[in-house]
Amino acid sequence: MKLRLNKTVAAVASSALLLMAVPVVGIASASGAATKAKPTYTIGYEGPLSGGNQQLGLNMVFAVQLAVNQANANRKLPFKLKLATYDDQGDPTISPTQAQAAVANKHLVAIVGPAFSGATAAAEPFYHAAHIATVSPSATRVSLATSGWNNFFRVVADDGVQGPADADYLVKSKGLKSVYVVDDGTSYGSGLAQAVALQAKSDGATVVSATVPGTSQCQNGTASATEYSAAATQAVASKATALFYGGYYCDLGLFLGALSSAGYTGSVMSGDGALSPALIQGTTPASAANGVLLTCACASSSNAKFNSAYKLLSHFSAANATYAPESYDAANAIINAIKSLKKVTRPGIVAALHKLTYVGMTKKIKFQSDGNIAGSAIFVNQVKSGSIVQLGLE
Amino acid sequence: MGAFGHYLTGHLATLRLEFWSLFVGGVANGFLYGMIAVGYTLVYGVLRLINFAHSEIFMSGGFGGYFVMKALIGSSVPSGMATVGLIVLGIVVGGTVGALVATLLERVAYRPLRRRNAPKLAYLISAIGASYFLFNLAGKEFGRYSLSMPQPYINHPVFTIFGATVQLYYIVIFIAGVVMLFSLDRVVATTKLGRSIRAVAQDAETASLMGVNIDRTIALTFIVGGALGGAAGFLFGLGTGVVYTMGFVPALKAFTAAVLGGIGNLRGAMIGGLLLGVAESLSVVFVQAAYIDVVAFGILVAVLLFRPTGILGERLGRAA
Repeated sequence: MKLRLNKTVAAVASSALLLMAVPVVGIASASGAATKAKPTYTIGYEGPLSGGNQQLGLNMVFAVQLAVNQANANRKLPFKLKLATYDDQGDPTISPTQAQAAVANKHLVAIVGPAFSGATAAAEPFYHAAHIATVSPSATRVSLATSGWNNFFRVVADDGVQGPADADYLVKSKGLKSVYVVDDGTSYGSGLAQAVALQAKSDGATVVSATVPGTSQCQNGTASATEYSAAATQAVASKATALFYGGYYCDLGLFLGALSSAGYTGSVMSGDGALSPALIQGTTPASAANGVLLTCACASSSNAKFNSAYKLLSHFSAANATYAPESYDAANAIINAIKSLKKVTRPGIVAALHKLTYVGMTKKIKFQSDGNIAGSAIFVNQVKSGSIVQLGLE
Repeated sequence: MGAFGHYLTGHLATLRLEFWSLFVGGVANGFLYGMIAVGYTLVYGVLRLINFAHSEIFMSGGFGGYFVMKALIGSSVPSGMATVGLIVLGIVVGGTVGALVATLLERVAYRPLRRRNAPKLAYLISAIGASYFLFNLAGKEFGRYSLSMPQPYINHPVFTIFGATVQLYYIVIFIAGVVMLFSLDRVVATTKLGRSIRAVAQDAETASLMGVNIDRTIALTFIVGGALGGAAGFLFGLGTGVVYTMGFVPALKAFTAAVLGGIGNLRGAMIGGLLLGVAESLSVVFVQAAYIDVVAFGILVAVLLFRPTGILGERLGRAA
């Protein structure tokens, strides 16, 4: 399976290399002798295509390739597209070299990526200097949007958005005015829980916070699972109608069991750290996981057309391909920006993206002036009879 | 004073509200600690060593019960006599697996050392080695993630005591705990096996002169302790699921309970377990749940400062 994937990527990558080596029809030659030939623009992808995070890069690059293929199949489009890949391994030290290679490719008009926040921060000065628009499907570091790079865009919510959006969903959308906020003591869990508690308070809810550290049973801590019965008793005694858990799926599973034993009947919500089928597998009794809300900046694709086309291309299921839907949207945002231009230039695409409104597969793509996506971009999922179902945007 | 008084009254109000709920949960945990703790204390009695691989006996019992529940329950929801039968079966299988692993441990990790008159330190390392071997083997074989235990019942509140609802799961633990700990107490106090355990604990050499088979007694001690530990593993898993690392902290707490009650003292281990479970549970009123382990070991240190031999004292080889 792995070998097969590698071969496919090699094919994608080598065709991209071929394109770089032989400029068949470029921007410059478009007005040349072959007047009938459509101009060909290159869209780049920068992300991890080798190394430990390879799978994440593969998830993305196939989605971009799919968007490019579909655009090329549309005869009405006045241009052709090519994909060029730049493998940064998700590494900020490799990323600048790849960015410079992308900048040097004179056919390249825009980038989907970079995938990782660190790599993006390292690469962006080069893209910015060359006026190349970069649309990241996955870089979530908050500061990326505030560094003065007008060419930076992302179709995913940043790290600062999830907590407040979760609180708003519980308090404003669901009308739950008493929230018990629990965190597992990790930097991820307590950070998210604090953000939720803060926003829930400002939304007018009564908030009680508690830290219930991760257990040695789950490798995120050293505490004992026996603490959960006491913690659950307190949650019930607080008479809270909603409980937010900042932490990971394994400990949440143990906590859910204790909550059900203690007779808790309110809503339970957690973030992306708990968004895993392993949550359901690890909850005793299994029914205690039903109804739990799980939020994530990531979308899961329920679009059957996309899923089957994606599988045909990648030979793996889109259902588990994290950030594939976002990558598809990022590529299509760029393609739509190109469509809107009479004369396609790198700075022209940057300007067009700032003005773009496009209904993507995951959400409406409209960028704020800093490159962040406008509106809520946090998805809420719910466990329903043993499986995780995406309900929609918060 | 004012601020502290306010703090105290505030928390006492909470305590009144939650006391019985927390108490019930604490007693349930306490029974589990007690059932594990007697394993430590029995082995300490006959061998003067702490079986640090006891956590893995507990874990094995949990997995034993898990596989039986998984095979027999599937997706159905048993009720009535089927529920009772399944719980008893789970306890029996958990106990049997625990006893088997304990026997194996005794044969492989302890008996060869005993034959060679190895120093106590060698036993300690041998036990820790066996513990790592066992839980890593379980992780390799059963996966390194938690597994949900299929339930032989739908857990629900059965009755209310002082405003605290008592769940079926807790009742299962109470009944199993009382029956097993009481039987153990009687076995050690009245049977021939109990007499030999006590004799070996008091003076192994003299006991062997009096015709007590020491090897056999030690092996049986491991079996009895292992059976209770394994059964506790199943009962624990019934509430929280099973995973290869499940033994470490509960067993450490149980060891604490055994020392708290007086190591080597059977009733001490039971009382120590209950005390620890309840104290831990009630402590969350005053401090965050994050402090539970701090409280547990704080109590241990405090008790040992004043009573180095534990609450009931080290009365080796006596039932009480």
